[in-house]
Amino acid sequence: MTEQLSIIDLMLNATVTVQIVMGILMLASMASWVMIFQRGFSLSHIKRDSAAFEDEFWSGKDLRKIYLELEEHEGELIGMEHIFHQGFKEFTRLRQQKDTDADRIMQNVQRSMRVAMSREEERLEMHLAFLATVGSTSPYIGLFGTVWGIMNSFRSLATVQQASLSIVAPGISEALIATAMGLFAAIPAVIAYNRFSAQVEIIMNRFEAFTDEFSGILSRAIHD
Amino acid sequence: MKAFSTYSLPIFLALVVHAGIAVLVIMNFESKQLPATIDVEPYYIEASVVSKNPHTVKKQQQEQQRKAKASRDKARRLAKKEKDRQDKINADKLNAAKIESETLVEKELIKDTNVAQSFPDNTNTQVEELREQERIKMEESLSLAIMDEQVGIRAVTDDEKAMAFVSQIQREIIQNWSRPPSARNGMQALLRVYLVPTGEVVNVVVEQSSGNDAFDRSALLAVRKAERFVVPAQSRQFERNFREFEVLFRPEDLRL
Repeated sequence: MTEQLSIIDLMLNATVTVQIVMGILMLASMASWVMIFQRGFSLSHIKRDSAAFEDEFWSGKDLRKIYLELEEHEGELIGMEHIFHQGFKEFTRLRQQKDTDADRIMQNVQRSMRVAMSREEERLEMHLAFLATVGSTSPYIGLFGTVWGIMNSFRSLATVQQASLSIVAPGISEALIATAMGLFAAIPAVIAYNRFSAQVEIIMNRFEAFTDEFSGILSRAIHD
Repeated sequence: MKAFSTYSLPIFLALVVHAGIAVLVIMNFESKQLPATIDVEPYYIEASVVSKNPHTVKKQQQEQQRKAKASRDKARRLAKKEKDRQDKINADKLNAAKIESETLVEKELIKDTNVAQSFPDNTNTQVEELREQERIKMEESLSLAIMDEQVGIRAVTDDEKAMAFVSQIQREIIQNWSRPPSARNGMQALLRVYLVPTGEVVNVVVEQSSGNDAFDRSALLAVRKAERFVVPAQSRQFERNFREFEVLFRPEDLRL
Protein backbone atom coordinates (compact mmCIF):
# COMPACT_ATOMS: atom_id res chain seq x y z
CA MET A 1 0.00 0.00 0.00
CA THR A 2 2.62 2.47 -0.98
CA GLU A 3 0.34 4.36 -3.30
CA GLN A 4 -1.65 6.98 -1.53
CA LEU A 5 -5.38 6.58 -1.35
CA SER A 6 -6.88 9.64 -2.87
CA ILE A 7 -10.61 10.05 -2.68
CA ILE A 8 -10.97 9.70 -6.42
CA ASP A 9 -9.07 6.42 -6.47
CA LEU A 10 -11.28 5.14 -3.70
CA MET A 11 -14.42 6.07 -5.58
CA LEU A 12 -13.21 4.57 -8.84
CA ASN A 13 -12.16 1.32 -7.21
CA ALA A 14 -15.38 0.87 -5.28
CA THR A 15 -17.72 -1.99 -6.03
CA VAL A 16 -20.53 -1.41 -8.50
CA THR A 17 -23.24 -1.24 -5.88
CA VAL A 18 -21.37 1.35 -3.89
CA GLN A 19 -20.70 3.31 -7.06
CA ILE A 20 -24.39 3.26 -7.95
CA VAL A 21 -25.25 4.44 -4.47
CA MET A 22 -22.69 7.20 -4.79
CA GLY A 23 -24.13 8.20 -8.14
CA ILE A 24 -27.66 8.36 -6.77
CA LEU A 25 -26.50 10.43 -3.85
CA MET A 26 -24.55 12.72 -6.11
CA LEU A 27 -27.63 13.28 -8.25
CA ALA A 28 -29.80 13.78 -5.18
CA SER A 29 -27.35 16.28 -3.82
CA MET A 30 -27.20 18.12 -7.13
CA ALA A 31 -30.96 18.19 -7.48
CA SER A 32 -31.53 19.30 -3.92
CA TRP A 33 -29.06 22.14 -4.33
CA VAL A 34 -30.78 23.20 -7.53
CA MET A 35 -34.07 23.22 -5.62
CA ILE A 36 -32.54 25.08 -2.74
CA PHE A 37 -31.31 27.89 -4.96
CA GLN A 38 -34.45 27.94 -7.06
CA ARG A 39 -36.72 28.04 -4.01
CA GLY A 40 -34.59 30.62 -2.31
CA PHE A 41 -34.77 32.95 -5.27
CA SER A 42 -38.48 32.47 -5.96
CA LEU A 43 -39.56 32.79 -2.33
CA SER A 44 -37.62 35.97 -1.84
CA HIS A 45 -39.02 37.22 -5.12
CA ILE A 46 -42.62 36.51 -4.05
CA LYS A 47 -42.01 38.16 -0.70
CA ARG A 48 -40.63 41.25 -2.33
CA ASP A 49 -43.43 41.43 -4.87
CA SER A 50 -46.10 40.96 -2.25
CA ALA A 51 -44.63 43.69 -0.07
CA ALA A 52 -44.53 46.02 -3.08
CA PHE A 53 -48.09 45.18 -4.01
CA GLU A 54 -49.31 45.71 -0.47
CA ASP A 55 -47.68 49.12 -0.45
CA GLU A 56 -49.43 49.96 -3.68
CA PHE A 57 -52.73 48.57 -2.42
CA TRP A 58 -52.70 50.65 0.76
CA SER A 59 -51.41 53.77 -0.95
CA GLY A 60 -55.03 54.87 -1.58
CA LYS A 61 -54.83 54.27 -5.30
CA ASP A 62 -58.06 53.38 -7.07
CA LEU A 63 -58.51 49.62 -6.97
CA ARG A 64 -59.99 49.59 -10.43
CA LYS A 65 -56.86 51.24 -11.77
CA ILE A 66 -54.65 48.65 -10.11
CA TYR A 67 -56.83 45.91 -11.55
CA LEU A 68 -56.53 47.30 -15.05
CA GLU A 69 -52.78 47.48 -14.69
CA LEU A 70 -52.66 43.84 -13.64
CA GLU A 71 -55.02 42.82 -16.39
CA GLU A 72 -52.35 43.65 -18.94
CA HIS A 73 -50.20 40.70 -17.98
CA GLU A 74 -52.79 38.38 -16.62
CA GLY A 75 -51.19 35.02 -17.26
CA GLU A 76 -48.05 35.66 -15.27
CA LEU A 77 -49.43 37.05 -12.04
CA ILE A 78 -48.15 35.51 -8.85
CA GLY A 79 -48.71 35.85 -5.15
CA MET A 80 -50.84 38.62 -3.80
CA GLU A 81 -51.36 40.16 -7.23
CA HIS A 82 -52.91 36.95 -8.43
CA ILE A 83 -55.25 36.71 -5.48
CA PHE A 84 -56.29 40.31 -5.85
CA HIS A 85 -56.81 39.94 -9.55
CA GLN A 86 -59.02 36.87 -9.20
CA GLY A 87 -61.08 38.40 -6.44
CA PHE A 88 -61.60 41.70 -8.18
CA LYS A 89 -62.46 40.04 -11.49
CA GLU A 90 -65.17 37.97 -9.83
CA PHE A 91 -66.44 41.02 -7.97
CA THR A 92 -66.78 43.23 -11.07
CA ARG A 93 -68.41 40.46 -13.06
CA LEU A 94 -71.04 39.85 -10.42
CA ARG A 95 -71.61 43.56 -9.88
CA GLN A 96 -72.37 43.98 -13.58
CA GLN A 97 -75.22 41.46 -13.35
CA LYS A 98 -77.07 43.84 -10.99
CA ASP A 99 -79.69 41.38 -9.76
CA THR A 100 -77.48 39.38 -7.43
CA ASP A 101 -77.59 40.04 -3.71
CA ALA A 102 -74.63 41.19 -1.67
CA ASP A 103 -74.07 37.96 0.30
CA ARG A 104 -73.89 35.86 -2.82
CA ILE A 105 -71.41 38.24 -4.39
CA MET A 106 -69.21 38.15 -1.31
CA GLN A 107 -69.35 34.36 -1.13
CA ASN A 108 -68.32 34.00 -4.74
CA VAL A 109 -65.53 36.54 -4.43
CA GLN A 110 -64.19 34.83 -1.35
CA ARG A 111 -64.35 31.45 -3.03
CA SER A 112 -62.43 32.62 -6.07
CA MET A 113 -59.80 34.19 -3.84
CA ARG A 114 -59.51 30.96 -1.89
CA VAL A 115 -58.95 29.07 -5.10
CA ALA A 116 -56.27 31.54 -6.17
CA MET A 117 -54.66 31.27 -2.76
CA SER A 118 -54.54 27.49 -2.83
CA ARG A 119 -52.97 27.66 -6.26
CA GLU A 120 -50.40 30.07 -4.87
CA GLU A 121 -49.72 27.77 -1.94
CA GLU A 122 -49.19 24.90 -4.31
CA ARG A 123 -46.73 26.98 -6.23
CA LEU A 124 -44.90 28.05 -3.09
CA GLU A 125 -44.55 24.53 -1.83
CA MET A 126 -43.31 23.20 -5.10
CA HIS A 127 -40.15 21.05 -4.63
CA LEU A 128 -40.34 21.23 -0.86
CA ALA A 129 -41.51 17.65 -0.74
CA PHE A 130 -38.49 16.67 -2.79
CA LEU A 131 -36.17 18.38 -0.32
CA ALA A 132 -37.88 16.57 2.54
CA THR A 133 -37.46 13.27 0.75
CA VAL A 134 -33.78 13.83 0.06
CA GLY A 135 -33.26 14.98 3.64
CA SER A 136 -34.83 11.92 5.15
CA THR A 137 -33.76 9.15 2.78
CA SER A 138 -30.28 9.97 1.56
CA PRO A 139 -28.62 9.03 4.88
CA TYR A 140 -30.23 5.63 4.54
CA ILE A 141 -29.11 5.26 0.97
CA GLY A 142 -25.59 6.19 2.01
CA LEU A 143 -25.76 3.78 4.89
CA PHE A 144 -26.86 1.04 2.55
CA GLY A 145 -23.84 1.72 0.35
CA THR A 146 -21.55 1.62 3.37
CA VAL A 147 -22.99 -1.60 4.73
CA TRP A 148 -22.69 -3.18 1.32
CA GLY A 149 -19.09 -2.05 0.90
CA ILE A 150 -18.08 -3.23 4.36
CA MET A 151 -19.84 -6.52 3.75
CA ASN A 152 -17.79 -7.03 0.61
CA SER A 153 -14.51 -6.05 2.17
CA PHE A 154 -15.05 -8.45 5.04
CA ARG A 155 -15.98 -11.19 2.64
CA SER A 156 -12.70 -10.64 0.82
CA LEU A 157 -10.99 -10.84 4.19
CA ALA A 158 -12.42 -14.30 4.75
CA THR A 159 -10.62 -15.74 1.73
CA VAL A 160 -7.22 -14.41 2.68
CA GLN A 161 -4.82 -16.50 4.68
CA GLN A 162 -3.05 -13.70 6.43
CA ALA A 163 -5.70 -11.30 7.62
CA SER A 164 -4.46 -7.78 7.99
CA LEU A 165 -6.02 -4.40 8.43
CA SER A 166 -4.66 -3.17 5.13
CA ILE A 167 -6.88 -5.61 3.27
CA VAL A 168 -10.15 -4.34 4.73
CA ALA A 169 -9.17 -0.73 5.31
CA PRO A 170 -9.52 0.54 1.71
CA GLY A 171 -12.86 -1.21 1.32
CA ILE A 172 -14.21 0.28 4.51
CA SER A 173 -12.83 3.66 3.59
CA GLU A 174 -14.51 3.63 0.21
CA ALA A 175 -17.71 2.39 1.76
CA LEU A 176 -17.70 5.17 4.31
CA ILE A 177 -17.53 7.71 1.52
CA ALA A 178 -21.09 6.65 0.68
CA THR A 179 -22.28 7.57 4.17
CA ALA A 180 -20.41 10.84 3.99
CA MET A 181 -22.10 11.64 0.71
CA GLY A 182 -25.50 10.70 2.08
CA LEU A 183 -25.05 13.06 5.00
CA PHE A 184 -23.68 15.68 2.69
CA ALA A 185 -26.82 15.51 0.59
CA ALA A 186 -29.18 15.27 3.55
CA ILE A 187 -28.00 18.06 5.82
CA PRO A 188 -28.54 21.00 3.43
CA ALA A 189 -31.80 19.50 2.25
CA VAL A 190 -33.18 19.26 5.79
CA ILE A 191 -32.02 22.75 6.69
CA ALA A 192 -33.46 24.17 3.49
CA TYR A 193 -36.72 22.29 3.93
CA ASN A 194 -37.25 23.66 7.43
CA ARG A 195 -36.34 27.15 6.41
CA PHE A 196 -38.50 27.19 3.31
CA SER A 197 -41.53 25.68 4.95
CA ALA A 198 -41.34 28.34 7.65
CA GLN A 199 -41.11 31.00 4.96
CA VAL A 200 -44.05 29.53 3.06
CA GLU A 201 -46.08 29.63 6.26
CA ILE A 202 -45.26 33.28 6.80
CA ILE A 203 -46.16 34.16 3.22
CA MET A 204 -49.41 32.21 3.40
CA ASN A 205 -50.36 34.00 6.61
CA ARG A 206 -49.78 37.28 4.90
CA PHE A 207 -51.91 36.19 1.95
CA GLU A 208 -54.71 35.16 4.26
CA ALA A 209 -54.60 38.46 6.08
CA PHE A 210 -54.67 40.29 2.80
CA THR A 211 -57.63 38.23 1.59
CA ASP A 212 -59.60 39.08 4.72
CA GLU A 213 -58.80 42.74 4.44
CA PHE A 214 -59.62 42.85 0.77
CA SER A 215 -62.97 41.06 1.20
CA GLY A 216 -63.76 43.49 4.00
CA ILE A 217 -63.15 46.39 1.66
CA LEU A 218 -65.27 44.79 -1.05
CA SER A 219 -68.19 44.04 1.28
CA ARG A 220 -68.09 47.63 2.48
CA ALA A 221 -68.24 48.72 -1.17
CA ILE A 222 -71.30 46.48 -1.81
CA HIS A 223 -73.23 47.54 1.26
CA ASP A 224 -72.63 51.23 0.80
CA MET B 1 -41.86 36.03 -12.27
CA LYS B 2 -38.87 35.05 -14.26
CA ALA B 3 -37.14 33.75 -11.19
CA PHE B 4 -40.05 31.51 -10.52
CA SER B 5 -39.54 29.29 -13.47
CA THR B 6 -35.91 29.57 -14.53
CA TYR B 7 -33.59 26.80 -13.47
CA SER B 8 -30.41 27.69 -15.29
CA LEU B 9 -29.04 29.94 -12.58
CA PRO B 10 -29.84 27.48 -9.75
CA ILE B 11 -28.27 24.65 -11.72
CA PHE B 12 -25.16 26.71 -12.31
CA LEU B 13 -24.93 27.65 -8.64
CA ALA B 14 -25.44 24.06 -7.54
CA LEU B 15 -22.66 22.97 -9.86
CA VAL B 16 -20.39 25.64 -8.43
CA VAL B 17 -21.17 24.54 -4.88
CA HIS B 18 -20.45 20.91 -5.68
CA ALA B 19 -17.26 21.67 -7.55
CA GLY B 20 -16.07 23.81 -4.66
CA ILE B 21 -16.78 21.13 -2.11
CA ALA B 22 -15.19 18.44 -4.27
CA VAL B 23 -12.04 20.50 -4.61
CA LEU B 24 -11.96 21.14 -0.87
CA VAL B 25 -12.40 17.48 -0.01
CA ILE B 26 -9.78 16.32 -2.50
CA MET B 27 -7.29 18.91 -1.33
CA ASN B 28 -7.82 17.88 2.26
CA PHE B 29 -7.32 14.27 1.31
CA GLU B 30 -4.05 15.05 -0.44
CA SER B 31 -2.66 17.11 2.37
CA LYS B 32 -3.24 14.27 4.80
CA GLN B 33 0.27 13.00 4.04
CA LEU B 34 1.84 14.24 7.21
CA PRO B 35 5.39 13.33 7.99
CA ALA B 36 5.45 10.49 10.43
CA THR B 37 5.73 12.02 13.84
CA ILE B 38 7.96 10.28 16.29
CA ASP B 39 6.51 9.94 19.70
CA VAL B 40 9.03 11.14 22.18
CA GLU B 41 8.32 9.37 25.37
CA PRO B 42 9.29 10.91 28.64
CA TYR B 43 12.61 9.41 29.43
CA TYR B 44 12.50 8.06 32.91
CA ILE B 45 15.31 5.61 32.85
CA GLU B 46 18.27 4.74 30.81
CA ALA B 47 19.10 1.18 30.03
CA SER B 48 22.64 1.38 28.88
CA VAL B 49 24.25 -1.70 27.51
CA VAL B 50 27.61 -1.86 29.15
CA SER B 51 29.36 -5.12 28.54
CA LYS B 52 30.37 -6.23 25.16
CA ASN B 53 31.01 -9.88 25.66
CA PRO B 54 34.72 -10.04 26.39
CA HIS B 55 35.01 -13.62 25.26
CA THR B 56 34.21 -13.09 21.62
CA VAL B 57 36.24 -9.93 21.46
CA LYS B 58 39.28 -11.72 22.76
CA LYS B 59 38.73 -14.54 20.33
CA GLN B 60 38.61 -12.10 17.47
CA GLN B 61 41.80 -10.46 18.59
CA GLN B 62 43.51 -13.81 18.88
CA GLU B 63 42.37 -14.74 15.43
CA GLN B 64 43.76 -11.54 14.04
CA GLN B 65 47.04 -11.98 15.81
CA ARG B 66 47.32 -15.52 14.61
CA LYS B 67 46.73 -14.52 11.02
CA ALA B 68 49.19 -11.68 11.20
CA LYS B 69 51.77 -13.97 12.69
CA ALA B 70 51.23 -16.59 10.03
CA SER B 71 51.73 -14.16 7.22
CA ARG B 72 54.75 -12.70 8.91
CA ASP B 73 56.23 -16.19 9.28
CA LYS B 74 55.58 -16.88 5.69
CA ALA B 75 57.29 -13.68 4.68
CA ARG B 76 60.21 -14.50 6.85
CA ARG B 77 60.46 -18.00 5.45
CA LEU B 78 60.41 -16.71 1.93
CA ALA B 79 63.02 -14.15 2.70
CA LYS B 80 65.23 -16.76 4.30
CA LYS B 81 64.93 -19.07 1.34
CA GLU B 82 65.85 -16.29 -1.00
CA LYS B 83 68.78 -15.36 1.11
CA ASP B 84 70.03 -18.94 1.19
CA ARG B 85 69.82 -19.14 -2.52
CA GLN B 86 71.67 -15.91 -2.87
CA ASP B 87 74.36 -16.99 -0.45
CA LYS B 88 74.84 -20.15 -2.33
CA ILE B 89 75.19 -18.34 -5.61
CA ASN B 90 77.60 -15.90 -4.13
CA ALA B 91 79.65 -18.69 -2.64
CA ASP B 92 79.73 -20.49 -5.97
CA LYS B 93 80.86 -17.41 -7.69
CA LEU B 94 83.51 -16.75 -5.12
CA ASN B 95 84.70 -20.31 -5.44
CA ALA B 96 84.90 -20.05 -9.17
CA ALA B 97 86.79 -16.82 -8.88
CA LYS B 98 89.21 -18.41 -6.49
CA ILE B 99 89.87 -21.27 -8.84
CA GLU B 100 90.39 -18.91 -11.66
CA SER B 101 92.70 -16.68 -9.73
CA GLU B 102 94.69 -19.67 -8.73
CA THR B 103 95.01 -20.92 -12.31
CA LEU B 104 95.39 -17.71 -14.26
CA VAL B 105 96.83 -14.52 -12.96
CA GLU B 106 96.07 -12.70 -16.17
CA LYS B 107 92.50 -13.45 -15.70
CA GLU B 108 92.50 -11.30 -12.59
CA LEU B 109 90.79 -8.59 -14.51
CA ILE B 110 88.13 -10.86 -15.80
CA LYS B 111 87.55 -12.21 -12.34
CA ASP B 112 87.19 -8.66 -11.10
CA THR B 113 84.62 -7.92 -13.70
CA ASN B 114 82.96 -11.18 -12.82
CA VAL B 115 82.75 -10.19 -9.26
CA ALA B 116 81.59 -6.77 -10.32
CA GLN B 117 78.96 -8.46 -12.43
CA SER B 118 77.87 -10.62 -9.63
CA PHE B 119 77.35 -7.63 -7.43
CA PRO B 120 74.54 -6.02 -9.36
CA ASP B 121 72.98 -9.42 -9.53
CA ASN B 122 73.08 -9.61 -5.83
CA THR B 123 71.56 -6.19 -5.26
CA ASN B 124 68.87 -7.02 -7.77
CA THR B 125 67.71 -9.99 -5.84
CA GLN B 126 67.87 -8.03 -2.63
CA VAL B 127 65.59 -5.40 -4.06
CA GLU B 128 63.24 -8.09 -5.23
CA GLU B 129 63.24 -9.59 -1.82
CA LEU B 130 62.41 -6.28 -0.27
CA ARG B 131 59.61 -5.77 -2.73
CA GLU B 132 58.21 -9.18 -1.99
CA GLN B 133 58.21 -8.43 1.69
CA GLU B 134 56.53 -5.13 1.09
CA ARG B 135 53.87 -6.74 -1.03
CA ILE B 136 53.17 -9.32 1.63
CA LYS B 137 52.95 -6.65 4.25
CA MET B 138 50.53 -4.68 2.11
CA GLU B 139 48.36 -7.69 1.46
CA GLU B 140 48.36 -8.42 5.08
CA SER B 141 47.31 -4.93 6.05
CA LEU B 142 44.69 -4.91 3.30
CA SER B 143 43.14 -8.13 4.47
CA LEU B 144 43.19 -6.79 8.01
CA ALA B 145 41.47 -3.64 6.88
CA ILE B 146 38.80 -5.62 5.04
CA MET B 147 38.23 -7.73 8.08
CA ASP B 148 37.97 -4.65 10.24
CA GLU B 149 35.47 -3.16 7.86
CA GLN B 150 33.33 -6.26 7.80
CA VAL B 151 33.35 -6.43 11.55
CA GLY B 152 32.46 -2.76 11.64
CA ILE B 153 29.49 -3.17 9.30
CA ARG B 154 28.21 -6.07 11.25
CA ALA B 155 28.65 -4.10 14.44
CA VAL B 156 26.68 -1.16 13.05
CA THR B 157 23.68 -3.23 12.00
CA ASP B 158 23.91 -5.20 15.19
CA ASP B 159 23.90 -2.03 17.19
CA GLU B 160 20.88 -0.76 15.33
CA LYS B 161 19.02 -3.98 15.95
CA ALA B 162 20.14 -4.02 19.52
CA MET B 163 18.80 -0.49 20.01
CA ALA B 164 15.30 -1.66 19.16
CA PHE B 165 15.53 -4.39 21.74
CA VAL B 166 17.01 -2.03 24.26
CA SER B 167 14.17 0.43 23.87
CA GLN B 168 11.67 -2.39 24.16
CA ILE B 169 13.30 -3.52 27.38
CA GLN B 170 13.28 0.06 28.60
CA ARG B 171 9.59 0.36 27.96
CA GLU B 172 8.84 -2.83 29.81
CA ILE B 173 10.88 -1.79 32.79
CA ILE B 174 9.24 1.64 32.83
CA GLN B 175 5.84 0.03 32.77
CA ASN B 176 6.64 -2.11 35.72
CA TRP B 177 8.36 0.55 37.73
CA SER B 178 6.38 2.23 40.44
CA ARG B 179 8.51 4.82 42.08
CA PRO B 180 8.37 5.18 45.83
CA PRO B 181 7.18 8.52 47.16
CA SER B 182 10.60 9.10 48.60
CA ALA B 183 12.14 9.26 45.13
CA ARG B 184 13.86 12.54 44.43
CA ASN B 185 15.41 14.09 41.40
CA GLY B 186 19.06 13.31 41.10
CA MET B 187 18.83 9.85 42.59
CA GLN B 188 20.08 7.08 40.44
CA ALA B 189 20.44 3.38 40.89
CA LEU B 190 22.54 1.24 38.62
CA LEU B 191 21.38 -2.34 38.28
CA ARG B 192 23.06 -5.22 36.58
CA VAL B 193 20.70 -7.66 34.94
CA TYR B 194 21.59 -11.19 33.91
CA LEU B 195 19.51 -12.92 31.28
CA VAL B 196 19.41 -16.37 29.76
CA PRO B 197 18.98 -16.71 25.98
CA THR B 198 15.22 -17.10 26.32
CA GLY B 199 15.12 -13.60 27.76
CA GLU B 200 14.29 -14.61 31.30
CA VAL B 201 15.87 -12.67 34.09
CA VAL B 202 18.03 -14.94 36.15
CA ASN B 203 19.57 -12.38 38.40
CA VAL B 204 19.48 -8.70 39.23
CA VAL B 205 21.90 -6.97 41.49
CA VAL B 206 22.31 -3.41 42.59
CA GLU B 207 25.57 -2.26 41.16
CA GLN B 208 25.40 1.23 42.48
CA SER B 209 22.89 2.18 45.11
CA SER B 210 20.95 5.41 45.00
CA GLY B 211 21.33 5.73 48.72
CA ASN B 212 17.64 5.21 49.18
CA ASP B 213 16.63 1.65 49.99
CA ALA B 214 13.06 2.08 48.84
CA PHE B 215 14.22 3.45 45.53
CA ASP B 216 16.66 0.58 44.99
CA ARG B 217 14.03 -1.93 45.90
CA SER B 218 11.52 -0.41 43.52
CA ALA B 219 14.07 -0.61 40.74
CA LEU B 220 14.85 -4.25 41.53
CA LEU B 221 11.17 -5.00 41.65
CA ALA B 222 10.60 -3.35 38.30
CA VAL B 223 13.09 -5.67 36.64
CA ARG B 224 11.89 -8.74 38.49
CA LYS B 225 8.27 -8.00 37.65
CA ALA B 226 9.14 -7.86 33.99
CA GLU B 227 10.45 -11.42 34.44
CA ARG B 228 11.14 -11.85 30.80
CA PHE B 229 12.41 -9.53 28.13
CA VAL B 230 12.31 -9.81 24.39
CA VAL B 231 15.85 -10.50 23.22
CA PRO B 232 17.34 -11.19 19.83
CA ALA B 233 17.03 -14.78 18.74
CA GLN B 234 20.53 -14.83 17.29
CA SER B 235 22.81 -16.02 19.99
CA ARG B 236 25.68 -13.88 18.74
CA GLN B 237 23.72 -10.72 19.33
CA PHE B 238 22.38 -11.98 22.59
CA GLU B 239 25.80 -12.84 23.85
CA ARG B 240 27.18 -9.52 22.83
CA ASN B 241 24.59 -7.23 24.32
CA PHE B 242 22.04 -8.97 26.44
CA ARG B 243 23.70 -11.72 28.42
CA GLU B 244 24.30 -9.14 31.05
CA PHE B 245 23.61 -5.44 30.94
CA GLU B 246 23.21 -2.51 33.22
CA VAL B 247 20.14 -0.42 33.75
CA LEU B 248 20.24 3.07 35.16
CA PHE B 249 17.17 4.20 37.04
CA ARG B 250 16.64 7.92 37.24
CA PRO B 251 13.42 9.69 38.20
CA GLU B 252 13.95 12.55 35.78
CA ASP B 253 10.38 13.59 35.49
CA LEU B 254 10.05 14.52 39.11
CA ARG B 255 10.24 18.12 40.20
CA LEU B 256 11.24 17.42 43.74
